[in-house]
Amino acid sequence: MDIVIALTINGLIWGLIVALIALGLSIIFGLLDIINVAHGDFFMVGTVLGLVIAGTTGFWIALVLVPLLGFCLGLVIERLVIRPAISSASLTIVITFGLSMILQEAVRATLGPQPRRMAAPVEGTIHLFGIDYDVYRLFAALFAALAIAGFFLFLSRTTLGTWIRAVRHDRETATALGIPVTLVCAFTFALGTALALLGGVIAAPITTVDFRAGIDILPVCFMAVVIGGLGNLKGTVAAAVLLAVMEGVVSAFADPTMARISSLVVMSFVLLARPHGLFAGATR
Amino acid sequence: MRAAGIALIVALVAALASLPLVLPAFGLTFWVNVVAEILIWSLLAASVNLLFGYVGLLSFGQALYFGFGMYGTAIGISMFGLGLWPALALGIVASTGMAAVAGAFAVRLTWHYFAIITVVFSLIFYFVAMSQKWLTGGDDGLSFSAPPILEAAGWMLTDRTTQYYFIFLVCLACYALLALVVASPLGLRFAAVRENEKRAQLIGINVYATRWIAFVLAGFIAGVGGALLALFGRYASASYMFYHVSGEAVVWAIVGGAGTLLGPLVGTALLIIFREVVSGLWENYLMAVGAITILVVIFAPKGLVGSLTALVRRGESEEREHLENPGIPATPATARAEAE
Amino acid sequence: MENVLSIRGLTKRFGGLAAVDGVDLDFPYGVLSAVIGPNGAGKTTLFNLITGMLPADGGEVIFEGDDIAGLKPHQIVSRGLSRTLQIKSVFTGLTVADNLRVAVMAHEKIASPLRPALGFSGVNRRVEELLAETGLARLAKRVAGTLSYGDVALLEIALALANKPKLLLLDEPICGMSPAETETTVARIVALSKSTQIILIEHDMEVVFAIAERITVMAAGRVLARGTPKEIAANRDVQDAYLGAPEDAA
Repeated sequence: MDIVIALTINGLIWGLIVALIALGLSIIFGLLDIINVAHGDFFMVGTVLGLVIAGTTGFWIALVLVPLLGFCLGLVIERLVIRPAISSASLTIVITFGLSMILQEAVRATLGPQPRRMAAPVEGTIHLFGIDYDVYRLFAALFAALAIAGFFLFLSRTTLGTWIRAVRHDRETATALGIPVTLVCAFTFALGTALALLGGVIAAPITTVDFRAGIDILPVCFMAVVIGGLGNLKGTVAAAVLLAVMEGVVSAFADPTMARISSLVVMSFVLLARPHGLFAGATR
Repeated sequence: MRAAGIALIVALVAALASLPLVLPAFGLTFWVNVVAEILIWSLLAASVNLLFGYVGLLSFGQALYFGFGMYGTAIGISMFGLGLWPALALGIVASTGMAAVAGAFAVRLTWHYFAIITVVFSLIFYFVAMSQKWLTGGDDGLSFSAPPILEAAGWMLTDRTTQYYFIFLVCLACYALLALVVASPLGLRFAAVRENEKRAQLIGINVYATRWIAFVLAGFIAGVGGALLALFGRYASASYMFYHVSGEAVVWAIVGGAGTLLGPLVGTALLIIFREVVSGLWENYLMAVGAITILVVIFAPKGLVGSLTALVRRGESEEREHLENPGIPATPATARAEAE
Repeated sequence: MENVLSIRGLTKRFGGLAAVDGVDLDFPYGVLSAVIGPNGAGKTTLFNLITGMLPADGGEVIFEGDDIAGLKPHQIVSRGLSRTLQIKSVFTGLTVADNLRVAVMAHEKIASPLRPALGFSGVNRRVEELLAETGLARLAKRVAGTLSYGDVALLEIALALANKPKLLLLDEPICGMSPAETETTVARIVALSKSTQIILIEHDMEVVFAIAERITVMAAGRVLARGTPKEIAANRDVQDAYLGAPEDAA
């Protein structure tokens, strides 16, 4: 029984981090209508920058600096490669795939092909439900939860957030209302990128820092986004947490690969039967 | 234009046919195998192109059918002790059958949803193949020694030249089949579905069935490619089913030119030759591949062949051809309008 | 059987709103019918329900004696019911001739995967016929995406005629046309109505009252009135609800 509780908590923590990254994927999809295959690599870049910056200036500065760098990276990428190709929409997948190759190879060229580990900024373990638990994992969950809450507050309470919601809802009306749509798109892409990098720096101490990390996390994020309903932000968070907990618990009794396969099967059913997601009340 | 096109194709076929005789004379024997590999992989790109360039569906999961072709052949030889041809047939049947089943679901979706469901299907079977090691060997893969092509004649894959001609002829047959299909009434239906799904319905075309047929045919072509690669490498591995392999094939097809028959071959050739030449000098050559991909999509979205054809055509007067494809299907606006 | 098309209790709801609300209608043979009504009256939804492009929530659509409700659009088309769309819809990347070729082949159920598409002499003849009939012959080799708006509309009608329809639904055929284009298109529709059953939706009252022999007025998803142009013009309800509205000064 204890192992189940431990795995549930583990899943919950990982689910919150995935939710943070998947939120970035989801707003980019909802607003710019592009499937960002490089999103997993944004996360990976976050872990790498986290490792490097934390190594020189300490973790807490990295925690602030990395998402800011991510935001800038997002702005540059949006301007240079996304915006010129946005008119041939189905090809944006191909563009982001090219981007993914560049990011992975750039990291491999600088950091090397060996996976690395990063020391947790908070040492020590805590005794929970009969199991010793790394304190940092709880911190990671807290950071992710705070960031998610902050993101939703930003969307609902600020002018920029309102603009983003308006453009998501109806681009033409938003233009007519005088909202700077191009700017909002650029900002949203940068924000989505920043969320992925933030997820990276938070996760860096509890995962491996590896140029291939993006390849592994991308399908997980997509599952959350699809099962939550493409573009449905709250659904994305719920699905991410649910999936991670489910996979965590299932892997206690069965092969973890079977857990992954079963979530993919669930995802296919959702796509085919409820393309707006499990939690969709009204259609988009 | 038409005569020039035919002359070009005849020249290409002649060049490919004479390669195993010409290359060794220049001390480039190694490149015979590279060209064979290009031909094989180009079938995977051609399969992506059939769906994207001709029917307007971007699949990110064609590696699944490639992998089924591969494993069908490998398992046929190593477990059932089949000869080369029955094993090849088993691989192709497995991939086509899988495409028939997966396609029945996948083509219910379009647009980004189609891209996602094709990746999901390929991921499911990738993980299945990874976990069922007794059958697939998982990541380590399945090695075997290839049976003869024709025992009586002593044709063996171990002979480099014989192997090349075997691969060349099978690929040639696939391209001939594709050429016939895209110029046929069925090919015209494909184009109609790609150009305007709604209007296609309204002239009496069963859009779902048309897409499904294209999907099965694409699975068949990818399966032939996979079966050939298994024979070429005497090896099959689950890693070939991963979505990155599908993505690479999409890149080859787009860089070469979606919606043109030879675009995928040109794209595959360029990028594989680039890899062979550059990877020895520069370990991180994939950065350049990524950059090339992005540049082509932004500046020449019709791909190399598509852009070249457009250029030649602009040079000529108002001459035109039937059934030529303008390149890129479904802009977001029309796709979304159709979805509503 | 004196009606080419009969509708019984046809209903479609979007959320709580009934876009088409229990409509009963008959369209007799040999009459050029028109459906008019203010924006949001449910006219296009009605066409979408008839042609199977939207699933109905209830009711029957009887075309030539058979209930076609629930059939797929392509099945309805192959029974001989064609339509054009409000937003003109052709195969923009194909030539005009290939546009018609694929439509003719769809009608004749030709889907050979191996024979050259250009090698069907019967199809080629029929394509020539349609080109001549609609006056598009001079544009046969042009890519449809490069045509003028009027010619696109013409091509769309030609596509709809490719299956030799028993009934042709035209959704705002002259919307967005120049006066000259309007004139030729209206003449074409009238000529066409001698050989083909036509029902049209149109906003241009002048045109409707000039060419339609039977008019149905819809408002808020229901049939408000039916009759000859004279009867409709004299109908008090229609005047109140529709003709008097300032937006229809045109």
